[in-house]
Amino acid sequence: MASQAAVDKHRVTAVLVSHNGAVWLPEVVAALTSQTRPIDLITAVDTGSQDASTKLLKSARIPFVSADVETGFGQAISLAVNKLPKAVENEWIWLIHDDCAPAPTALAELLAAVNDRPQVVMVGPKLLGWHDRTHLLEAGVSIAGNGARWTGLEPLEYDQGQHDGNHDVLAVSTAGALIRREVFEELGGLDPKLTLFRDDVDFGWRARAAGHSVMVATGAVAFHAQASANERRTVEVEGAFLHRPLLLDRRNAAYVLLSNSSWWILPWLVIQLLGTAIARAIGYLIAKLPGYAADEILAVGSLIVRPGLIIAARKVRKKQRFVSARVIAEFIPPRWSQIRLALEGVVDAVRAKLFPENNQVSTTSVLDTNDDEDLLTPVNSNHWFGVFKRPEVIGFILISLISLLNSRNRFGALVGGALPISPAGATDLWRTYFESWHQVGMGSTVATPTWVAITATASLFFLGKVQFLITIFFLVAPILMMFSASKLLKRLTGNTWISIPAAFLYAVSPVAIAAVSTGHIATVLFMILAPLVALLLSDIENIESFTWRKIAGVSLLLALLYGFSLMIFVIGLAAGIISTLSDYGKHAQEANAALYSLRFQKRVALIFVPFILNIPYSLETFTHPSRLLVEPGLLIPGGGPIHALLGNPGGANSLPIWLVSPILLVLIVSLFSSTHARQIAEYGVTALVLAVVVSALSISTHGNEASSKVWPGPVLVLVTLAAVAAGTVLLDRLRETLVLSHIHYRHILSALLLFTTFIYSVLAVGWSVTKGADSLVQANQETVMPAFLSVEKDVKILVLREVGSKNDKKIQYYLSRGKDISLGEPDVAPTQTVAIADAARGLIDGSGVTSSSTLSDFGVKYLYVKAPFKKEIIRSIDGIGGFSRTSATSLGVVWKVTAPASRLMFVGADGVRKELEAGEVGARTFVPSAGTLILTETYNRSWQVLENGYRLDRNKSEQGLPTFTVTEPGEISLIHDGTIRRGWLSLQLILLVIVLVMALPAGRRKSEISERELA
Amino acid sequence: MNFSRPLRFIAFIVAAITIASALNVAVTKKSYSENYPAVVCPPTLSGLSSQISLSSKKTQFQRLQNKSKKTESVKVLRLPVMKDSLLFDAQGSTPVVWQSKAGSWAGGALCSGPASSQWFVGASADITTKGRLIIVNSGLSDAVVDVNIFTENGKQPLRTFNVLSKNYLVIPVDSLAPGDKTLAVNVVPRSGRINSFMIDEQGKGLRALGGDLVNPTTLPSKVVIIPAIPNQGKKPGQGAAPEHVLRVLTPGDVDSSVTVELLSADGVFIPVGLNSRSISAGLVTEFTFSPKISSSAFAVKITSTEPVVAAVESSVAIGGGKDFTWSTGAPELSEFTIAVTGLTPLVVFAGSEINVAVEVALVNGKSIRKAIKGTDVATWRVPAEARSFTITKVGKQTYAGALVSSVNGYGYFPIAPGSVLTRIEIPDSNIRILNP
Repeated sequence: MASQAAVDKHRVTAVLVSHNGAVWLPEVVAALTSQTRPIDLITAVDTGSQDASTKLLKSARIPFVSADVETGFGQAISLAVNKLPKAVENEWIWLIHDDCAPAPTALAELLAAVNDRPQVVMVGPKLLGWHDRTHLLEAGVSIAGNGARWTGLEPLEYDQGQHDGNHDVLAVSTAGALIRREVFEELGGLDPKLTLFRDDVDFGWRARAAGHSVMVATGAVAFHAQASANERRTVEVEGAFLHRPLLLDRRNAAYVLLSNSSWWILPWLVIQLLGTAIARAIGYLIAKLPGYAADEILAVGSLIVRPGLIIAARKVRKKQRFVSARVIAEFIPPRWSQIRLALEGVVDAVRAKLFPENNQVSTTSVLDTNDDEDLLTPVNSNHWFGVFKRPEVIGFILISLISLLNSRNRFGALVGGALPISPAGATDLWRTYFESWHQVGMGSTVATPTWVAITATASLFFLGKVQFLITIFFLVAPILMMFSASKLLKRLTGNTWISIPAAFLYAVSPVAIAAVSTGHIATVLFMILAPLVALLLSDIENIESFTWRKIAGVSLLLALLYGFSLMIFVIGLAAGIISTLSDYGKHAQEANAALYSLRFQKRVALIFVPFILNIPYSLETFTHPSRLLVEPGLLIPGGGPIHALLGNPGGANSLPIWLVSPILLVLIVSLFSSTHARQIAEYGVTALVLAVVVSALSISTHGNEASSKVWPGPVLVLVTLAAVAAGTVLLDRLRETLVLSHIHYRHILSALLLFTTFIYSVLAVGWSVTKGADSLVQANQETVMPAFLSVEKDVKILVLREVGSKNDKKIQYYLSRGKDISLGEPDVAPTQTVAIADAARGLIDGSGVTSSSTLSDFGVKYLYVKAPFKKEIIRSIDGIGGFSRTSATSLGVVWKVTAPASRLMFVGADGVRKELEAGEVGARTFVPSAGTLILTETYNRSWQVLENGYRLDRNKSEQGLPTFTVTEPGEISLIHDGTIRRGWLSLQLILLVIVLVMALPAGRRKSEISERELA
Repeated sequence: MNFSRPLRFIAFIVAAITIASALNVAVTKKSYSENYPAVVCPPTLSGLSSQISLSSKKTQFQRLQNKSKKTESVKVLRLPVMKDSLLFDAQGSTPVVWQSKAGSWAGGALCSGPASSQWFVGASADITTKGRLIIVNSGLSDAVVDVNIFTENGKQPLRTFNVLSKNYLVIPVDSLAPGDKTLAVNVVPRSGRINSFMIDEQGKGLRALGGDLVNPTTLPSKVVIIPAIPNQGKKPGQGAAPEHVLRVLTPGDVDSSVTVELLSADGVFIPVGLNSRSISAGLVTEFTFSPKISSSAFAVKITSTEPVVAAVESSVAIGGGKDFTWSTGAPELSEFTIAVTGLTPLVVFAGSEINVAVEVALVNGKSIRKAIKGTDVATWRVPAEARSFTITKVGKQTYAGALVSSVNGYGYFPIAPGSVLTRIEIPDSNIRILNP
């Protein structure tokens, strides 16, 4: 045999290093002694084992050297080699870990591989798992640019021989590595600085730089427990901070890269290492493994602050180098393959989460199958048609068609109703969210609501096209509503012929139709998510059993909803108060203080954590309580209590009041049910009561001075959901009851309920696809402001417009900044300045002889009367004076205020007012002399003007405008200091991260992972 | 089954509805600002004299060309005006201006609020004319006014005038369509607080042929009622009864067919040749008629297939001289007050069922009431000591005009409010208007 002949010419000394490896050592010793090619000499080094390792070595008659507990692996090997007899030709050192058992033919295969390859100085076996011996651990190893240990294998890759063969590699693991002794000694052995981990890659790299070859011979197999890496034993070596090997591994990885790489790529490597360390640290923090996160940073940091180590190591390697360090370039994994592997890992993880493997074993025996019978059964080729008989398919096709027909005027950039025009890009929304000063009306510092940031984030999935996002959102909203409702209802009934029509009814409910037609984003979103919230909180009665992680997760979902409308906080608060009062009564009977305290704590967390996550916007409610009752966008009034009682929010574009939905009827009937429907109906009735009361309230906010009735959409969502759920439960049990009983009132009531529901569905769908399509929200509507008025940057224009129906017209006004309002702006609109309100009133009734000067004082440059408008009023304005007409087109009439008016005015010593150039928020301009600078924006303490590095004195004018005293001519800078806003946003981000981390599944240390899982 | 719990929930709903009803106060209550726009009286041009009849001595007025915005009380019930156009805060009482040229002519007109369109059917641009169109801008901003001119030769090129704030412009009528004999003028302000007045004065050489203030109408209509046309009848020694000239214009693009009905105390009839007369669109057309009736005043009802504007020119003799009046269409009579101090007009009511109640305020502070009833036409002479009268009740489809005779001439003005109560809703601030 050729291999036996080859074996004969080699001398092999196995060096076994043990450290608390008694668990694995017996098998390792047995493996060594059972090699088909006997080992010429076995020696061992024990590094301060506390277990029975030394006893085992003794009993196996293996001579060993005892070393200090902090002795590294490389040092231990050198210790053993130094004690060996003088080297002979073809002498090999076989490095054996105490947790690595080579297969009986391993040595023979290794020697066979190097027999005809004299250039090979290091050869290693294929490493398989200790417990799962089909788990491929390594077949050669390399290092990635970011320091990751690179095996080129997938996680838990099954060994099917797919990587078999003898291959050149950068390095092989020291576990089972066969190294030519003369080269080992020539290169100084394993680097003593690498006490554990990465010493193999380093040696391989050095060997290759010295002109040698390294290869893996997969014919040789060893089984490796990776005890240190998997934290199966404590690592006591120097630098293994807190006994965690990760720090050592990461530090050594950086050491290897920085010591061996060409000098000119070192800066890039440092950046890569730092970046990777930070990214991985964040990942570990999210996984709630702060120790690992600290290890990542400390590992790289501790090395960078001690450059002497690297310099010394590079000097050594320079002496040993025979060829360029770049000789190993072919073994460094390309970045794309690292990314691909990472992405595959993520995809697999997501797939596993979404589609868990069905581990159920089929109970059908193969014996049950009759092959002959199969052949005789006629093949039905029309199975696919059966799909269309399933209620899910029918229901979703129907709702999709209805949504398409209803949305036929909504393909494009949506605007109208509560919905202002969306900005073109997400960056505009982000700017609105981050800015401390909003150029709306006379300007405001109101905190932008969180929904703006959420929408901006969501638009990333649509390449930052906010308009596209909004259009798609309203188009698919009914389908999503039905989908989420069906998810919930399937929990209540197994009969899809009940759950799917019920989900359909939910999607065509009065509140759903009205919310889509009027652009109430919050109600639409709540309709989609409410069933999912209900699913998550289905066992809210046992809130004490909720884990804090679940509380954090639900809080995040609720925070998203609060971010759109704080009315959902009001709902939660009301529910919390009722539940707490109920608990108080139970506690009086049971006297279980610990239980009820826990329930209270969790309930409070569930209600208030989302509220806190929405600061600073949510804090605005303390100064403006009306914000608790509004939705994003413009204030569209609801229809009042009677509408609300019927489950219809009312107001413009809602279903007519004669089109009565069966919501109230279902709830009342369910109240008398003896099933679970009764409990659901009680929730629904409570929500209905809240809706009725809320809809009777009138508020003025979001830039609307007049009181308007509250839109009760979000509360009615719960009412609708409760009615649909109660009806589902009722029907689920009803059929059996009715079949078994004689005709009585239940039969009549059921027939009435079903008939009403059917009639409602038909009429509601009919209305939705006909009249409902001409909704307030339409695509591509003409703008209010003519284009020529937006040419001047940040000009203020007083706009007058006649609105309302033909018989109920009303004149309204507002200050425009040259363009129509945009998404998010109504939410931060300030209340109107009294002086401007008086000036506008004067224009209308013809008494405003001072209107022009007032508007000039506030920097209003133009007056625009949007057509159609009463000619008498136009004549009245013509007659008032102080205005000069600049245009009269079919769009409307524009006057220019004749007195100087601009955003930044300067009044010199002579009292003459001059216009100064000003940017959108900040400005940099020149002041000609000493005087007073007037900023025609609402007074705010964050307005600052700097001249020569000093702040100018700020005062408040009679009109409530900020003024600054200029003492000398020169260049000035106007800024709005956004520090406070940034502070609040930072706090919000920190809170969000904390709750997010709490909600995410916790990572486990390797020591906490079972052997089975590791395998 | 225990019904107490469900019933408690239903009671809960009822309680909520009750609370909601209490909370549900009317939030859509609107606030209005009501006022009568100030009315403008024409300036007194050179050679003329003016008196303005007012209903109260406390009526506030302002001289148009006075840059001060201060107003002052008139302190008299008949205000002589030397030159300026005056702005009155008459608060619902319509002042009437009476202008005359000594020994030549006289005419009356209503002082009125700003108008979006005024039609003047009258005057001539031929060699005999001395007429003038006066455009008054009572606003504080400059105004731009379009003047559309129609003659027997059709529509003339549009003329546009710029009128300075608080000022007026006098345009000789003959400059509008030189040489054309029959005029109809439409004044349309593009911007500004504009009132227009027209004086039609005719003369041949040094011989005055009379004159009048031509009262405007606002809109063309398919039915035009001219309620008061003086009819002096045939005097002994006079060869023929005085002629009346009906001037009609169809300003639209389609020809119209016009029928003229004459309403008088002697009956209602269609004068010969005035039944279904075709009127070419855009051409000012005149028809002459000479009714043989005994009434001193009559009315005409013009019915057309297309909207028209119309007026009747009537020749009258005053003292030894000649004068003429332009009787123009009047709007349907409504409840309002008109000042007539010193005018003693003859008010002619026209309508199928005339039932009008008036309250006359006398200069001595007393008031008297009068009911006027009749069919087709009824006349009522306002007492000499009256300073104003108020229409307190009026039936439907009733129209009225006033004829005034003075030593200098004869005049007509429609009985119509110079300014109507303007009810303007106080506006709200709402950002929603910046959304389509």
